[in-house]
Amino acid sequence: MTPTHMNIMLAFTISLLGMLTYRSHLVASLLCLEGMMMSLFIMATLIASNTHFPLVNIMPIILLVFAACETAVGLALLISISNTYGLDYVHNLNLLQC
Amino acid sequence: MAYVLFTLSVLLVMGFVGFSSKPSPIYGGLALIVSGVVGCVIVLNCGGVYMGLVMFLVYLGGMMVVFGYTTAMAIEEYPETWGSGLEVLGGLLVGLMMEVVLVLWVLSLDETVVVSFSDTGDWVIFEGEGSGLIRGDSIGAGALYDYGRWLVVVAGWTLFVGVYIVIEIVRGN
Repeated sequence: MTPTHMNIMLAFTISLLGMLTYRSHLVASLLCLEGMMMSLFIMATLIASNTHFPLVNIMPIILLVFAACETAVGLALLISISNTYGLDYVHNLNLLQC
Repeated sequence: MAYVLFTLSVLLVMGFVGFSSKPSPIYGGLALIVSGVVGCVIVLNCGGVYMGLVMFLVYLGGMMVVFGYTTAMAIEEYPETWGSGLEVLGGLLVGLMMEVVLVLWVLSLDETVVVSFSDTGDWVIFEGEGSGLIRGDSIGAGALYDYGRWLVVVAGWTLFVGVYIVIEIVRGN
């Protein structure tokens, strides 16, 4: 594993940590989810190029399709939260009191 | 310059630290766009011309634009940037320091890795009486519509259902 591959996996881990920690906004976690998808896309494309296996290029494209679906649903939830509470602060989501 | 791919991957990690330290989302979107551009250049350096173009058009040109104006709808009056407040600045500095230390440690190990990052784009094909030159990644992605017919149908149906899900969520009932 080259240092380049290590850096891309490190970028995925940093985005994962960013997604799991909340500060005040919910859309910041959605941005970190996008970062995770992007680092997975880059990693899969590098592996497809370096192992000279062109058929693997199907996987990043399909990953991008489903990441776009996921982004759309996440943003729709964000918009409905913003319509109900005014802003997308995480401490507004207190209906489930446990 | 032999280390250009490694330098670009270090810049990618620094961009990711920039939005993972959770500033206000409009600045996070800016860091994600910069990271996306650096990632595209990484993909282009490894011979993936078609995949870099797909990433630019679909990811940066489509999804980031949608993120931009959705964030503009749900933003506060004084967005906090990387310099305002110790939490975001501390997270950013810790991330950058970690990356610098890791890079210096990995470069000091002085090991040999047997992966070649050159000549990963073109394929020479011999067809009939002549020969031709094709790009590997665009032909591989084109095989999606040949071997992966059913996958195209499933993905298209998923996108269609996804649009209906979004409409139902936003409608609110």
